[in-house]
Amino acid sequence: MAGGSREIKNHALIEFLQSQTQNVLHRLYTRPSACLAIVRLMSPFERQLVMNLLWLEQPLETKQVTSWVTLEGRSAYEAALKTLALLHILPNSKENMSLHSSFKTGLRNGLTGSGDIESFGVPALDVGFEPLSPEELDVYALERWDTTLHFMVTSGTGEASAKPSDGVLYLLEHSGLMRNDQGRRIINSEGFQFLLQSPHAQLWEFMLSYLRMMAEREDMDMVDILGFFFTLSMMQIGQQYSNETLSPTQIIMVADLRDFGLIYFPEHSTTVFQPTRFATSLTSHMQSISEAESKHEDGRDGPHGFVVLETNYHIYAYTNNPLQIAVLNLFVAFKTRFSNLIVGTLTRDSVKRALINGITAEQILSYLVAHAHPQMKKNNPIIPVTVQDQIRLWELERHRVKGQDGYLYKDFGSMNDYEVVVKYARELGVVLWENGAKRMFFADAAGRVLIRNYIERRTAI
Amino acid sequence: MKAVKGVLITCDAAVKQILLQMNERRREDNYFVIEDLDQTHLLIKADEEEGMRQELEVELEKNTYSMEP
Repeated sequence: MAGGSREIKNHALIEFLQSQTQNVLHRLYTRPSACLAIVRLMSPFERQLVMNLLWLEQPLETKQVTSWVTLEGRSAYEAALKTLALLHILPNSKENMSLHSSFKTGLRNGLTGSGDIESFGVPALDVGFEPLSPEELDVYALERWDTTLHFMVTSGTGEASAKPSDGVLYLLEHSGLMRNDQGRRIINSEGFQFLLQSPHAQLWEFMLSYLRMMAEREDMDMVDILGFFFTLSMMQIGQQYSNETLSPTQIIMVADLRDFGLIYFPEHSTTVFQPTRFATSLTSHMQSISEAESKHEDGRDGPHGFVVLETNYHIYAYTNNPLQIAVLNLFVAFKTRFSNLIVGTLTRDSVKRALINGITAEQILSYLVAHAHPQMKKNNPIIPVTVQDQIRLWELERHRVKGQDGYLYKDFGSMNDYEVVVKYARELGVVLWENGAKRMFFADAAGRVLIRNYIERRTAI
Repeated sequence: MKAVKGVLITCDAAVKQILLQMNERRREDNYFVIEDLDQTHLLIKADEEEGMRQELEVELEKNTYSMEP
């Protein structure tokens, strides 16, 4: 999924970087860790271009580079050039091609291990207490993350669940995933959609909201923030890092990211921290997180797969994870619960409830596919066609009636009058319905003033 | 020439008939349908849209049967 979609669409962070100013990007590229991380986020095609140009001292002629590309690859090539130009890595030029010097130096340093090595984090030695093992860090990170998701899924149901820290709550509200209703936090439809995404996508959405939130604060330097982000993603799990070389902004981030489960440090320590797998896998492929998750589920089930869905709408979910049960509860009517299995049915009412919450039929289906039991995965298609169609039909049922505000224009004196006015309205693009025989048409409210003025002008003549 | 403010309702023919029936059941001064445009379009009073949707929902619910006890 990651590979496929990334070829068509740029990684979300790449898009975020493109929205930054040239100055910010060039300062960011002085950090070798940032250059390396960005290369990892690029599409294979972009990476290939960058690596080909990296060690050349002289610029290459654009003609020559273009001749490497086959005819079929032309559109991918153009897209790659555009992305790289927007990132200020490879300036778009018709004659010569060479990487921007700041990026070139940064990436070379990153690959050879020279230059500003502090940007990869400074390991802390002799801190006086034992670091957590990678397994313990996984447990810690997942517990933090599950607390957040569980809080979201149970909000508004009245069921009590552990509250995440204030930092997380603030971000949940800020990102629009939840809203504050007189002190009670209630999940928004964006939040429901968020819950059905893959863990990796969730993490990224959360991090991008965090970046956007930080970008709004004027006392913080974006280079510091992004730089630290990339530093984190290059760190090694299990290693303790010192925060002595961090800027004040970055120290605030360490505390924030601890709340999200990306960083761990013990209560009594102020100088050392450890990244968790969430942080170190940010710029790598999504496997690392799902592996971590499958370990969490005592390793017996493969990653994710635990749902069996039959053609008669019965669902059997082999799980005892409260979060997974709560998420399924969004669109399944449960009947029986055993220690490792939960049985329910997809009913019109249960799916309708989900649709009212803003979840789409497509999201339900993709969640079911992503979490299908290995036994189910043997079927083709994975979800029985009857069930797929029915879920879509239930969604359509909600859209049987469409309402549009506007004005109905009628009682025209002559056919000619009608035709002239409706032609004008059509040119404005505001006609929603028309009937020549009845000499009536309905136009969007936005066109009202223009149409009225037009008619007045005509009658004045 | 006249311009009438309202909401254009686009729906399937069956739903339109239900809406017309709902309209008939009301008292004359309380009609929400302003104009019956064609098979699949109606013009209704702008402030009645929300109420009409809720009423329609109840009406459509009568025609569905749930397997659940």
